[in-house]
Amino acid sequence: MEPLTWSGSLGPYLNPILLIAVGVFALGFVLNFAMTLVGLRQAEPIVNPDHTISYRMGPVDMALALMRYAVFAVLAVCVIYILGGILQPSMEAKGIIGGVAAQYMPVWIALVVTYVVSIRFKRRLGLYGKLFDNLVGMIGFGLVMFWVYTAIFAPMIATYGPLDVAASLRNAPPGSLVPGASADGAFPYYLLGGDAGARDVFSRMVMGAREVLTIAPFATLFAFMVGITLGLPAGYIGGRFDTLITFLANLVLAFPVILLFYLLVTPEIVEAGVPVYMASVLFILPIIFLWVLLYSRYRAQPHIIKWVAIPITVFLLLIYLGTVFRFDPIVWFATSFIGYLNQGNPVSEWMTSTREAYEPLIGIPIDGNLLIVFVSVVFVNSPTVFRIVRGLVLDIKTRDYVAAAQTRGEGPWYIMLWEILPNARGPLIVDFCLRIGYTTILLGTLGFFGLGVNPESPNWGSTINEGRRLLTVYPHPPLPPALALMTLVLGLNLLADGLREESLKD
Amino acid sequence: MADREAYDGPILEIENLSISFFTRLREIPAVMDFSTTVMPGEAMGLVGESGCGKSTVALGVMQDLGVNGRIVGGSIKFKGRNLNEMSREELAKIRGKEIAMIYQEPMASLNPAMRIGKQLMEVPMIHEGVSEKEAYQRALEVVTDVRLPDPERMLSAFPHQLSGGQQQRIVIALALMANPSLLILDEPTTALDVTVEAAVVELVKDLGKKYGTSMLFISHNLGLILETCDRLCVMYSGEAVETGSIEDVFDKMRHPYTQALFRSIPLPGADKNSRPLVAIPGNFPLPHERPRGCNFGPRCDYFEGGRCDAADIRMDAIEGDDRHDSRCLKFREIDWNAPIAAAIETKKAEIGEVVIKVDNLKKYYEVAASALFSHGETKVVKANESLSFEARESETLAIVGESGCGKSTLAKVLMGLETATDGHVVLDNKGIESVPIQERDTSTVSSIQMVFQNPFDTLNPSMAVGRQIIRALEVFKIGKNEAARRQRMLELLDLVKLPRAFADRMPRQLSGGQKQRVGIARAFAGGARIVVADEPVSALDVSVQAAVTDLLMEIQRNEKTTLLFISHDLSIVRYLSDRVMVMYLGHVVEIGSTDQVFSPPYHPYTEALLSAVPIADTSVEKEHIVLEGDIPSAMNPPPGCPFQTRCRWKKDVPGGLCDTEVPPMKTLDSGHQIKCHLADDILARMTPVIKVAAE
Repeated sequence: MEPLTWSGSLGPYLNPILLIAVGVFALGFVLNFAMTLVGLRQAEPIVNPDHTISYRMGPVDMALALMRYAVFAVLAVCVIYILGGILQPSMEAKGIIGGVAAQYMPVWIALVVTYVVSIRFKRRLGLYGKLFDNLVGMIGFGLVMFWVYTAIFAPMIATYGPLDVAASLRNAPPGSLVPGASADGAFPYYLLGGDAGARDVFSRMVMGAREVLTIAPFATLFAFMVGITLGLPAGYIGGRFDTLITFLANLVLAFPVILLFYLLVTPEIVEAGVPVYMASVLFILPIIFLWVLLYSRYRAQPHIIKWVAIPITVFLLLIYLGTVFRFDPIVWFATSFIGYLNQGNPVSEWMTSTREAYEPLIGIPIDGNLLIVFVSVVFVNSPTVFRIVRGLVLDIKTRDYVAAAQTRGEGPWYIMLWEILPNARGPLIVDFCLRIGYTTILLGTLGFFGLGVNPESPNWGSTINEGRRLLTVYPHPPLPPALALMTLVLGLNLLADGLREESLKD
Repeated sequence: MADREAYDGPILEIENLSISFFTRLREIPAVMDFSTTVMPGEAMGLVGESGCGKSTVALGVMQDLGVNGRIVGGSIKFKGRNLNEMSREELAKIRGKEIAMIYQEPMASLNPAMRIGKQLMEVPMIHEGVSEKEAYQRALEVVTDVRLPDPERMLSAFPHQLSGGQQQRIVIALALMANPSLLILDEPTTALDVTVEAAVVELVKDLGKKYGTSMLFISHNLGLILETCDRLCVMYSGEAVETGSIEDVFDKMRHPYTQALFRSIPLPGADKNSRPLVAIPGNFPLPHERPRGCNFGPRCDYFEGGRCDAADIRMDAIEGDDRHDSRCLKFREIDWNAPIAAAIETKKAEIGEVVIKVDNLKKYYEVAASALFSHGETKVVKANESLSFEARESETLAIVGESGCGKSTLAKVLMGLETATDGHVVLDNKGIESVPIQERDTSTVSSIQMVFQNPFDTLNPSMAVGRQIIRALEVFKIGKNEAARRQRMLELLDLVKLPRAFADRMPRQLSGGQKQRVGIARAFAGGARIVVADEPVSALDVSVQAAVTDLLMEIQRNEKTTLLFISHDLSIVRYLSDRVMVMYLGHVVEIGSTDQVFSPPYHPYTEALLSAVPIADTSVEKEHIVLEGDIPSAMNPPPGCPFQTRCRWKKDVPGGLCDTEVPPMKTLDSGHQIKCHLADDILARMTPVIKVAAE
């Protein structure tokens, strides 16, 4: 068997079309540019007597139309490649692009379902629905969801495990055959080639999406909760408290981020328990936030406090203890109690040993390194969020509905969380999308410097770093994760733009 | 400056103008079939409620409709040349030189980073290419013309260093620099205080005469139009409904909307019990939901099905009058002199016991003189200076004053958002002056509530209307459970005459008047006994104002509430209040029953305030008292009497007492007190400011 070509059997037909379309686009661009320089302008709309608007096409409009059609042609070719990849039977006919498209089958289905359902019900879906009135927002949302679904369906898409090695394929070019693969039923090709460790580049990129997309949104969410919990009182109450917190935030912002990360991962500092202390402070704030949120709202309805607010808060506290301190009070008390009852017999000893080394029942097992990464990202992001929230609060607290809440004797936390925060949501949602993008890049940077994450992990940042050394000879290993990172962040930025535009229209 | 070529045809001729805005969904017609003519030296008024298209006409004249706006029909001729067909370059020559525009918000029209002199000098330098020196001379001249003190210092100042009134004068100067033939004023005084407004209006009138400029004066205030214009055009929902000379339209109106408008504004003579205002029923139609035929049809008393809603209605001339047109099919049939359909006369509520008593209340704020090097040096702002008054059950006490007079601070102290520096506020024999809101018990909090000024700000935009009222009930501990509270909330919606379905609406789905009603329902949720209403209707349209005011009065009658009505609008105060308290720079300068305050003897400030309020009634004669200068800053009040810097009676007080001593409160009649040094015989000689000519 031969190695795969890029475009498979469709290539000879589609590639010339693609080339022509790109050429036409370039031509249209040059023409438009030249005509604008000469002083020609786009045609003005004309109002007809029957109150409709029409346009008379001028040469500039023609050039613009030419560019538009070229773009459509390129898009059409791309769609045909993807469909061809899915529909054609043999791998040779699919080619690399088709093969990748075929592997991505679950993502395509999920995307189509999402879009069909969302557009069908967009009038009922609030701000999310409005996103589908906006082309930029739709493209951004599509890119983001592409990677989200990639992360979700990663095991179905990936052809090999992220650490699987096929020794002969060290730095193999894209489309290389895997020797002996057909014998044991494995995927016969390294679609995007092999890296310096002879691992499949495609599978590592796909699995890397999981790494990136679990940490980035959660870290951003935590950064937001911390920033909001501190920013609301700083803006609303002001005074010395505000001065102090703002000063601390400035201090963190002024500190070089990379240096901070280096410090945080230094073994001595980890030994001293600094990341755990920081985690204990940063993670308790969201719980306090949620409790105050529920309590201030349902103060007058004791049964909701008793049956909803308290159980949720207690559960979250258990998760907090289990995650940060690896301490589970239920296990601890149970073992102590059973040990106490069985004093003097072997059960007691067994209980004591269990108490010494157990995994908390409730609590998210986070790898030590990951916790450090998480804490660092929250730590450097929350001051910026804090400043945004504080600024919004300073504006909103002068509104009459805040005064109305004050004059009916509402407590400060109710006003902050239920009168001010919901009305600051627009800018916060937009910033959230942008900040996931920054965090993703930050994680990439961290991976690139080999900080925090496991060097074997398929994280995009570390993969790029690994491929960097042989970049001039073998450019293919670092390119897919780099493009992945770029499209994800681009998608998040476009999504944020779309949301901003649509939320302003209301 | 007489370099303008002689032109004696009409300055502005608008014929059948239609303007539409195009959105992705539909075409929204903003102005339809609008015609008007402005002759040289004539002042034309455009009146209408918000959204009626009056500003769109002005923007159409300037050919500045933005990307979505298009003129879809008709012509706008300026000095005989069609503006629609002009190129950008030609328009640029006309804008600012031949046609100048003055907007509502002065600070938004001035470049904050440029000295005033530079901005003024730019105009002739760009349009006429004169030298810098000549431009400076011209600027100096114009600034003197708009009666600003110390013109040279003004020219070197930045916009933010001037007060609102001074800024608006600079904007007027800016418009006059090029000596335009047409001046468009879009609500030029709405952002200003009444006495400042009166001075600016006076100035505009005088300058119009001096320079011979034609004016297009846009306003929602009929009284202002009466004072400034020769002719006016009443607009409703994108159409001109009536146009004619001031006398014709004010005294012989021939369109039901104009009539309804006049009946819904409080004129002298209106009374809340015997002659209540008549609100226009229904709501203003949205631009894309206009009815067939007459736009005003659904709200009109004279509506005739099959005729008024059959086809588009054209303007029709009224025989015998000078260019007086009406867009009504039935104006020849309607009996325009018929008295107002007997409104339900209500009994005056019994005034009860004293509910709240304020004694010698003082509120001072300390402001650090400089943030960095304060060294304990602070400035004291005396926001409230020894206020004393009491309010009784079922009584309406109006608190009148301009911005900075301390009325909002007073409201804050009453509500407990601030604590008093000195003095007493007694509610039910309990001193509450130094109890902040957090420490007040629920019954105290729920018995003093507030209605806010800005309807677009009074409700939390992200909470359903019903939920907001329920929240107030929860806080006031009313209702045993959620179901009981929901029931009570629905009853409150009934009380303010809103449909119960509104409970699940979001505030953005409500109109301004409806939001204000929800605000009122929320204030009365805890059975409030004292309601502080901070200009509750000033941001609403005239026709809605009447309805909301009446609602407030009705609830007050039923609940025996004490209403503290804060306002700067003396017409509405006269209409609804039992007693009036006039404040100036933190002092109560006059207090008494409505009749006592509105008739001589006056405090000099009350007198000026009465004269400043525009009244939309041609039979009213007013004495013109224009106050010089602006309100002094509360940071740096004048010594002695607070009003002495602007008082026209100061010379009648011997011994310069006004400069040195704060006058004592002097009791004239029972319950009528004045803070003034004027001797009794001078006070007795005062003549009424407002005279209603005998009919």
